[in-house]
Amino acid sequence: MNTNGDATVKVVPVRHVGRYFSGAGALVIIAMVIHTIFSKLPTGQYACRGVVPHRSCQPKTEWRFSWDVIRHYFFSAEIFHGVEITLALTVLSMLLGIIIGLTLAVMRMSPNRLLSATAWTYTWFFRGTPVYVQLLLWFNISAIYPQLSLGIPFTSWTFLHVNAVNLFNPFRAALMGLALNEGAYMSEIARAGLISVDEGQIEAASSIGLTRRQTLRLVVVPQAMRVIIPPTGNEIISMLKTSSLAAAVGVVETLGAATNIYSQNYLVIPLLLTASLWYLVWTTVLSSGQFYVERHFARGSLRTPPPTPIQRLRNDARGIARKFRPVHDVGVAP
Amino acid sequence: MTLMVEAKGVCKAYGGIEVLKGVDLNVARGEVTCLIGPSGSGKSTLLRCVNHLDKHDAGELRVDGELVGYELRGDKLYELNDRQICEKRSQIGMVFQRFNLFAHLTVLENVTLGQIKVKGRSPEAATAKARELLARVGLDAKERSYPSQLSGGQQQRVAIARALAMEPKLMLFDEPTSALDPELVGEVLDVMKDLARSGMTMMVVTHEMNFAREVADTVYFLDAGVIEESGDPRTVLSAPRSERLKLFLSKVL
Repeated sequence: MNTNGDATVKVVPVRHVGRYFSGAGALVIIAMVIHTIFSKLPTGQYACRGVVPHRSCQPKTEWRFSWDVIRHYFFSAEIFHGVEITLALTVLSMLLGIIIGLTLAVMRMSPNRLLSATAWTYTWFFRGTPVYVQLLLWFNISAIYPQLSLGIPFTSWTFLHVNAVNLFNPFRAALMGLALNEGAYMSEIARAGLISVDEGQIEAASSIGLTRRQTLRLVVVPQAMRVIIPPTGNEIISMLKTSSLAAAVGVVETLGAATNIYSQNYLVIPLLLTASLWYLVWTTVLSSGQFYVERHFARGSLRTPPPTPIQRLRNDARGIARKFRPVHDVGVAP
Repeated sequence: MTLMVEAKGVCKAYGGIEVLKGVDLNVARGEVTCLIGPSGSGKSTLLRCVNHLDKHDAGELRVDGELVGYELRGDKLYELNDRQICEKRSQIGMVFQRFNLFAHLTVLENVTLGQIKVKGRSPEAATAKARELLARVGLDAKERSYPSQLSGGQQQRVAIARALAMEPKLMLFDEPTSALDPELVGEVLDVMKDLARSGMTMMVVTHEMNFAREVADTVYFLDAGVIEESGDPRTVLSAPRSERLKLFLSKVL
């Protein structure tokens, strides 16, 4: 640093010896992983060239991870269609789940005991049984309710009849099961968010004459979002993968499409990897989206919002550049 | 002189504990009334009953001649619904000890929200009104800031602007300077003094005895849920009659 503008003293930062060792260890492990992912296996066949006395044979190899097979199936129509179904299931069941969850959360906090008990019982049932079981239940519901009708309860007046087998086709049964189950989890998340809003905010809203409904919509929910968004992001990511259970009731989503193909050609691992890669693609997209949504809803609660990944990269680059700049540049005032 | 607030035998209990035990109080239009007393004496509760944030259990409480929370039709008292209560609350401004600015909205949005959603003003008209009020409390440069970026004193001044934006006929202040750093108290009191001079009817729960002496028309001393002493601040604060008020003043002055 430059103290008086003439004497330059070099600053020696602390050496973190341990970090070098752990860093080296991590590098070795990363190298091993990359090496094995792109390694090859002998097929047992040989590729020969030339004619007999000059004939030379090399063992034939293939990718251990069958990258060529994966590349072939990654954009195949069948897998692609499966991915579309996965996304449709995820988006629709989360939308329904969030609506159910918010409703349940408001019911839970209602001064009406009957409403809060109903909401509690719902959460108790749908959190207390496995999703897999629930999916199977909805798929087979026609066994106990062959006919569904809309009408006035406890009378014979009905206006609409539906055949349960037709109503609960695989996709709708899966959607129903996933959404109802998600609603139970979302209600707890939403309730935590609503509770987190300071009582004073509600009083202030009342004091300027906002009705209870307006207070909820304009003051409480927007602030609860800051608490609700991060776990909801997790729920969406988790739903993306849980939706693979829909394969159990015959929905041909990503995993279903992959199993359909490998049951015919026995390329089990490559197709499971293809499915995994698709799941990874969408989780990556969703988590980066989550970051920006969280940043948006944090406005007002943080004095300075956290840097975006791009801003962070730029800062890191600047920091490194500063490190490698010659010492006499440091501290020279313009 | 017509009365803005009229309380007769107002009682309030929280879970069996009596906080207000029959309070009588009158606030004339255009008058500044200060409520003083030890903590737990019921001053804040009385204030909250006036705009029905708390529901009084017994007694008669009127604001501008109308009952708070009820309507008398024939010989029956009808409890008002949410919408009717909100309608009445919108005519009473309230300033809280902990400011309670809407944390997710900017200063400007805090002041325009009620105007747009409750009074049904256009966003342009609401913004113009908000800017005028923010200028009045000396914060026109901060309209884009969020509450967390402001000092306590600035937040409280925004809270006053937010309440004034509803053009209330009565302003309630619940210990408006108690959560502030000492050097910030003055800026808030100055705004309140200015408001008092403009003829606003005000009820102020406060520990600032100098403010009470200087600005109040009437001072009420509450202790253990009853009004011990009331009257002109100069007499009440300088020559207290009751032992309790003497004791209280000896502690706070």
